[in-house]
Amino acid sequence: MASIPAPVSRRGRGAGRRWRPQRAGLWFVLPAAALLGIFFAYPLIASLWQSFFQTAGGESTFVGVEQYIRLFRDPLVGKSLLNAGIILVLQVPLMIALAVGLAYLLNQSWLRFRSGFRLLTFLPAVTTLVAYSVVFRVLLTTDGGAVNQIIGVFGIAPVDWLNNEWWAKVAVIAAITWRWTGYNMVIILAGLQAVPAELYEAARIDGAGKWQTFWHVVLPQLRPVLIFTSVTSTIGALQLFDENYILTQGGPNDATLTPVLYLYKVGFRQFDFGYASAIAWMLVVLTAVIAVIQFRIMREKP
Amino acid sequence: MKMRSAIALGAVLTLSLSGCAMGGGGGSAGATLNADAEVSGEITVWSWDVGATALTRIAESFQAEHPGTTVKVVDVGYDNAYDKISVGLQAGTGLPDVITIESDAAPGYVTQFPKGLTDLTPVLGDQKADFDPFKWSVGSNDEGALRIAPWDSGTVALFYRTDYAEAAGVDLSTAETWDDLIALGKTIKDKTGHTLLSTDLSTGGGFQMYLQQLGQGLFNAEGEITIDSPEAVRVLTMMTEMNAAGLIKNVRGWDGRVTSAKDGDSAVTPEAVWWIGTLQGDAPELAGSYGVLPLPAFDAGGVRTSNSGGSGLAIPTQAKNPDLAAAFVTYALADTDNQVSMMKEEGLFPAYLPALQSDYFQQPVEYFGGEPVYETFAELTAQIPPIVYTSDSAQATDIVANAVTAAVLNGADPKSVLADAAQQLATATGREIAQP
Repeated sequence: MASIPAPVSRRGRGAGRRWRPQRAGLWFVLPAAALLGIFFAYPLIASLWQSFFQTAGGESTFVGVEQYIRLFRDPLVGKSLLNAGIILVLQVPLMIALAVGLAYLLNQSWLRFRSGFRLLTFLPAVTTLVAYSVVFRVLLTTDGGAVNQIIGVFGIAPVDWLNNEWWAKVAVIAAITWRWTGYNMVIILAGLQAVPAELYEAARIDGAGKWQTFWHVVLPQLRPVLIFTSVTSTIGALQLFDENYILTQGGPNDATLTPVLYLYKVGFRQFDFGYASAIAWMLVVLTAVIAVIQFRIMREKP
Repeated sequence: MKMRSAIALGAVLTLSLSGCAMGGGGGSAGATLNADAEVSGEITVWSWDVGATALTRIAESFQAEHPGTTVKVVDVGYDNAYDKISVGLQAGTGLPDVITIESDAAPGYVTQFPKGLTDLTPVLGDQKADFDPFKWSVGSNDEGALRIAPWDSGTVALFYRTDYAEAAGVDLSTAETWDDLIALGKTIKDKTGHTLLSTDLSTGGGFQMYLQQLGQGLFNAEGEITIDSPEAVRVLTMMTEMNAAGLIKNVRGWDGRVTSAKDGDSAVTPEAVWWIGTLQGDAPELAGSYGVLPLPAFDAGGVRTSNSGGSGLAIPTQAKNPDLAAAFVTYALADTDNQVSMMKEEGLFPAYLPALQSDYFQQPVEYFGGEPVYETFAELTAQIPPIVYTSDSAQATDIVANAVTAAVLNGADPKSVLADAAQQLATATGREIAQP
């Protein structure tokens, strides 16, 4: 940040530092800072504090790092992270590829009703998480659900979407892909529009075909945008909650249990707030690690 | 996915904030209630759905009989009710004078917030014998002090389709044991194609309900884990056999169960008395095709009922007007006329046993072809076996639901999945596994 020369304060006789203009700024940021302090910093510190306690029978006892050691021993923490990992490894590339494809298509000048199509693709991103999850649950009902009826037309036996450990993951992946592809598409579209027209022209003059242009010219230009969408999607997958909560409640047999869903169960169903806070901080650390990796990759030039 | 999980995270963070502000949650032990106190002033009551409707109605007559009092009933909605209650108890502030807690959730609140709920023994203690024994135990702490007053019972019986039984030529009233019922279920399946029962296996498929029939919970009186007890293995084996014979239709969630009943998939539904309200409300077209029998026992002569659901009322220690709250709770719950009126108007089946003597329960019910089905439930209510809950019941419930999925759906051996489940719970909670 550039340093601003401090205004010369007028020292009237005996008035001393009655009024210093640079202090005025502090008063303006105070409301925001106070709100941030009360609703952000204080809870944050309090939860860290809480994570060193064990609540049982209404009594809190200091247990040191016991809750954090517990994280490593708890098979459900491992399972929830593994579930999130499986979902993100399958879902993020699928969604980003879809979003790039859609964005590229919707950026073509020959396409009519482009704005309409863009709006349609983006619309899922404005639906509420709970509402669309409920709709997906109805669509994926084993008996008489729309999805099973449609695949039934092609002679495929009904799939037990929400009760099978593998298909339940697929259902979650399908749901979040539907919800978030449009959102990522818009970001990538913005990236595409920032690609200078000269590059396309140069590629054409060099005799590159449509596919070659896309692969060697457009994609490299999209690199920062792709990294950004991948990282936010990865963090999003780590924080998955609503879809699993409504579609499967984390079942069957914990096959769709995610870290945040587990945190919710531990905190609000088992009232183990100390441990829930420890899980929250584990997620904070994981997310921070991913963010750091993002910055590293962004800084490196290809 | 981001916004909402941020909210969930934020909620936990905020929660721990208030928790440590109050030094670990709970606040003071609360006022000692005085049954003969002069009541005045105002209270607020939290409930939801028909519960709120019922209490609003009761509040009007209470105010008329107690001049100078105001009872404000708020329908807080079911979805966020428990999050609000948990946060309020943890923070020691923010709760009204009376709250509703369902029986399934009751043990968790009683054990985790020992100072959060007012001891109701001074006002209701001498009427213990008048209440459903299971409801009383589920709302009491280790020392037997009542914290959540029994409201409505979840007395379980067997709902069955009379038309299916007739079509298959079987008499279900001859089924004294589950083995008998399974045999008849196979006949029904062969003759009519209908499954025996519809259930949601992912949430345990009624495992704990069946286990309670055998007088057992997931823990024994010493707080040791009994998930792998011979009784539990017996229940899970029975469920596995039912499913292997194609007698179970696995459905998802509450909606799935209601839809399945409406579609007439299965011949029987072992469920609590409040299922009557669901049937009448959601499947009025099936009037005349249902009957009610006591549950089959595990062994001839055994207990023929269990519990599923039901609620209670509690007074948080942070209540501003505990004496008025206690007077209202007593008025609503330990009163024959009011309990009978809640049965008539809102379908809440009394946990207050004297109310069950009312003529109303002997009356024929049109929906069930004029049979006096409430009589069956009224007789069974006093027989519901009390079971032990602990502070880890919620976690045990999750683990057991997974064991049910593994055994019934994935074909794992019931004995070994329950042994694994017990071990998992022991590791997570530090509790001992009970030795048979």
